Amino acid sequence: MRLHRFTLFQRLFHLLLMVSFLVQATTGVGRMYAETNFGKVLLTPFGGFYNALVWHKLVGIFMLVLFGVHLIYIMIVALRLRERSIMGPDSIIPNRMDMRMMVNHLGWMVGRNKIPPFERWGYWEKFDYWAVFWGMVIIGGTGLFLYDPLISSAIMPGWTINVAFWIHRIEAILAMAHVFLIHFAIAHLRRHNFPMDRAMFAGGADLESAKEERAAWISRLEQEGRLNNLTSRDTSLPGLVVSYLIGFSAILLGLYVIIGGIVNFRYVTW
Amino acid sequence: MRKKTLCLLVIAAVILLPDPSIGQEEVASRYYHYRSTEMSTGIYEEYEVRPRGIHALFDGDKERQRDAGISRSDESESRAWNRLFLNDSHRGIAFYEYRRCVDCHPGNAQNRHTVRYGITCRQCHGGEPIASINHYFSRLNPIRQHTHVCSKCHSGAKASFALYAVHEPNPARASTIDSIPFLFYAFWIMVAIAVLTFALFIPHTFMWIVREIFHREKKQREE
Repeated sequence: MRLHRFTLFQRLFHLLLMVSFLVQATTGVGRMYAETNFGKVLLTPFGGFYNALVWHKLVGIFMLVLFGVHLIYIMIVALRLRERSIMGPDSIIPNRMDMRMMVNHLGWMVGRNKIPPFERWGYWEKFDYWAVFWGMVIIGGTGLFLYDPLISSAIMPGWTINVAFWIHRIEAILAMAHVFLIHFAIAHLRRHNFPMDRAMFAGGADLESAKEERAAWISRLEQEGRLNNLTSRDTSLPGLVVSYLIGFSAILLGLYVIIGGIVNFRYVTW
Repeated sequence: MRKKTLCLLVIAAVILLPDPSIGQEEVASRYYHYRSTEMSTGIYEEYEVRPRGIHALFDGDKERQRDAGISRSDESESRAWNRLFLNDSHRGIAFYEYRRCVDCHPGNAQNRHTVRYGITCRQCHGGEPIASINHYFSRLNPIRQHTHVCSKCHSGAKASFALYAVHEPNPARASTIDSIPFLFYAFWIMVAIAVLTFALFIPHTFMWIVREIFHREKKQREE
């Protein structure tokens, strides 16, 4: 049996964010490594060094619009939940319990206690969610500033372009390394989810795994009598194939970008 | 008859003679033309900013200070385009003609303008004699760098745009505090955020993956 952890709207947000992030990573890293074969390979599908910048700017604007739509979405969700607390167990907002869960989880990792019963969102998932917010503000803000340096320099002194460029670059490296190494490892590599956590794709999450990992959430759903409404049989074969195709393509691209980036690091013109 | 002839002469004069001097703004109001065309539309190389020691005369009058020293630049009048007026910064260097710029300035070619866009040193610094960028008539003097150099590629560049550091200092080095302090602090703050994030999550993820392997094995044994 499968458990539907995310709504269709949330999965659509994730898919659009994933695709646009991969385009930004490919075009951005490609331009950063433009002198190397690795960079040229990344830039080729986007029409080379100059055209890749056009893609990078347009997709960057798309991401900011997507971020704006998401802000409207969470405002609507918050208004709907006004009867219940926005700090309730279904909330993505971090609370003190997350800190306790993290400490207990670390204790379990070193064999000191039992695995903690997680609620709907684990502390690592909350971090991933809010990291996108902070990344979007920093990368999006500096990206917008770099969009047209002539206009930007009319507002701020020209040397702020140097500063914005470095902030944009370091934050982008941080975001890519976090997604391609940490997020992918948690969602795909650990035995609990191997070869891929399909919670965000067709079919939803595995119910048995969820019972083990999110015991607190499952028991709450059982108490509220909502568990049956959220479970269903697995998706059909085409849905499964498409899910794995999207997931593994993202992993392959991410690994290529990370490994190529590390190998060619010394050839970057900073 | 005389009146009629006089009227016709006046009409002919209005049509045929050039505009009165008030309409010839290029002559009458050069700095106004500079500000209304070059600075706003990106039409360059007709006017230049010329350093003159008259700023002290307008002490306190910022508007007049800003407009002072702007005059028409053409082939006969331009000092910034005429290299006769430049000092030679490289005078006295042995075998100068046989050296390349990077022989003595090795790091200065490692910037995106040179590496990515193939811009050569002389496209910005000009031909011989090459003066200091602070020389009065250097094209790279901050008073005219935006109009004489930056705008070749970045049409519409203004003085603020020219403050972008083409030869960017290494942001990690302490010496950058002297040139662009914000760059130094922003760089290290961002690096600190990245290092803290990875210092927490890389060991966390690794330990988690390893622990789950044993967790499952233990569970299977129990089964």
